[in-house]
Amino acid sequence: MTYEDKLAQFNAHIDAGGKVEAQDWMPDDYRLGVLKFIEMHANSEIMGALPERECLPAAPSLQRKMSLCAKIQDEVGHSQLLYRVAEDLGKGRDSMYEDLVNGKSKFHNVFHYPVKHWGDVALIGWLIDGAALVTQAALLDSSYAPYTRVLKRICSEEQLHLRHGEDITLELASGTDTQRQMFQDALNRWWLAIIHFFGPRSNVEKDLLLKWKVKTETNENLRQEFLDRYVPKILELGFTIPTPTPFEQNGHWVIKEDDIDWAPLEAIKRNEGPETARRLGQRKEMYDSHRWVRDALSEPAVNVA
Amino acid sequence: MSEALVSLLTALADDELVIGHRHSEWTGFAPHLEEDVAFSSIAQDEIGHAAAYYSLVAGLTGGNADELALGRDRSDYRNAILCERPNDDWAYTLVRHWLYDHADALRLEALEGSADENLAAVATKIRREERYHVIHADSWMKRVAHGPVEGRTKLSDAMGRAFPETLGLFEPFELESDAVKQGWLPVPSDELRARFFDKVRGSLDDLGLPTEIHAHAAAQAEFVASSSGDLISAEDATAATAGSEDALGGRKGRHTQDFSDLWDAMTTQYRSNPGATW
Amino acid sequence: MEVYEVFRRAGHKDPFEHCGAVIAPDHEMALLMAKECFLRRREGNHLWVARRSDIHSFSDETLLEVAGDKSYRFNEGYREVIGKREKAIARAKELASR
Repeated sequence: MTYEDKLAQFNAHIDAGGKVEAQDWMPDDYRLGVLKFIEMHANSEIMGALPERECLPAAPSLQRKMSLCAKIQDEVGHSQLLYRVAEDLGKGRDSMYEDLVNGKSKFHNVFHYPVKHWGDVALIGWLIDGAALVTQAALLDSSYAPYTRVLKRICSEEQLHLRHGEDITLELASGTDTQRQMFQDALNRWWLAIIHFFGPRSNVEKDLLLKWKVKTETNENLRQEFLDRYVPKILELGFTIPTPTPFEQNGHWVIKEDDIDWAPLEAIKRNEGPETARRLGQRKEMYDSHRWVRDALSEPAVNVA
Repeated sequence: MSEALVSLLTALADDELVIGHRHSEWTGFAPHLEEDVAFSSIAQDEIGHAAAYYSLVAGLTGGNADELALGRDRSDYRNAILCERPNDDWAYTLVRHWLYDHADALRLEALEGSADENLAAVATKIRREERYHVIHADSWMKRVAHGPVEGRTKLSDAMGRAFPETLGLFEPFELESDAVKQGWLPVPSDELRARFFDKVRGSLDDLGLPTEIHAHAAAQAEFVASSSGDLISAEDATAATAGSEDALGGRKGRHTQDFSDLWDAMTTQYRSNPGATW
Repeated sequence: MEVYEVFRRAGHKDPFEHCGAVIAPDHEMALLMAKECFLRRREGNHLWVARRSDIHSFSDETLLEVAGDKSYRFNEGYREVIGKREKAIARAKELASR
């Protein structure tokens, strides 16, 4: 069979709703595209651990200290699952990790930003995990089957994180003026980044991942789903949404694309976000200074009595 | 009379909280992904154990576990200094985890026979999780100690720093003799210390780690550690103990700058919002 | 002859699940035996066999038990969210009417 025949067969399989396993034949563009996509997801989980980790020492109750610790632990666990899936597409975890800490690969925009206080924990847990869940739930039907199998577990844990985040938010919302202000302050700082999180309008004609059903929804549809679901909840708690401010139109909460300033996202795509260098630097330092831990795990015992 | 019980419980709770806090600093940051997940559970376990002990204290003195954990003054904490030391690198963390959990296992074994039924019940429950902590620590120690030279060297150096400070885990807490008399602590600290040194000396031999200073410490328990980690005789130590960088003192509320930093980070948000719920 | 544990997967979205074991001289024979023993009614689309001697477990299963309260890892730990939401909305309304 020629390459063209195989490709045609593969495309027909995908068009008919077929799934792809790691050992199946797939076009190089599919393999590389899926690898890059899952690698970025994995990178985002491990980098996403850092902002919340910075808030962990100050957790204001024992229960929150344990639950936030457990939530960050889940994110590390997600990166473990995802790197494993990506590895089977042909790139080792070490080389993915090295590309990450050396700034050669990408991770989600929201994890390039600083955290300031417990209001950030509420916001990340509720709205950023909420946004992530909207995008990840849409991937549950992705054509790359190994990805969907780990996403099933990831989504169910994200669902729990969402409750955890909403629970913290609600305590702040019904708490003291200072506590309410904490959430409002976090919302003011994070809102634009959340809108960016879904990315610019998808190019349906050119996006191979959409064509091959690795992704099943456009960025703008996912953003719309998020806005419709969360804007009413934020407003009903009496918080004010900063620019770009959504407004109601035909039963939807809408943000005009012209109102979105994309410049900060462009900087982040070049790995030039406010916290990019510091956080990657921390990871790199840890990675380099602890090579001996990996060696101890990978090399045979030499000193057994 | 239950003051002695409160004193015992406070030492136990503070050890668990403070080491749990240190362990939790690795979550999202450990040098290996699977181990990051594993060690985070240990951190959560320790904080959970602290919560259980604080609840027993609250039952005796009023208040609640959070107030006790996060609302007290710096000098009210009774944890051993070993627990408050920064994580430094993975080698120090691993060695401290190993030493602490072996010490804790012996302490819990004794506490299962406490005359205070609540404490005995909590100890029994905690001991089930701690069995796994010991296995986790043992497996890692074995792996690194029998592995390539860099890890072995780091482990040995870290042992030199951490081991002398284990003395602080067995420093008698306030009113300990009353607690022993009442059967709340069925085995006094100095007996636990002797058992600990026995246990650890054998293990260090098996791991091929140097045992001289440890044998020395076992024989001369009144020896204290200087900040450099070398053991010095009690006489020579007078000058060293005058400083705050001392292995002992934690059970009396004398802590190091390391604890002040930890306490600031851990309690400021709680203390600056009195009456708030989270 | 050795014991081979058999795992099958119902569909692309499912994990492999243990479904039984066969005794076989090698993995090729084990696969043949497993196919007819465990997949003859289309119970799955994929099959694994693994030598039992290559499978490891904790010697003491009680080590896997969770002793402490880990309710925060489960939805049950957040049952109060609904009540808290009502309380927070009420507070927002009260602030708005000030």
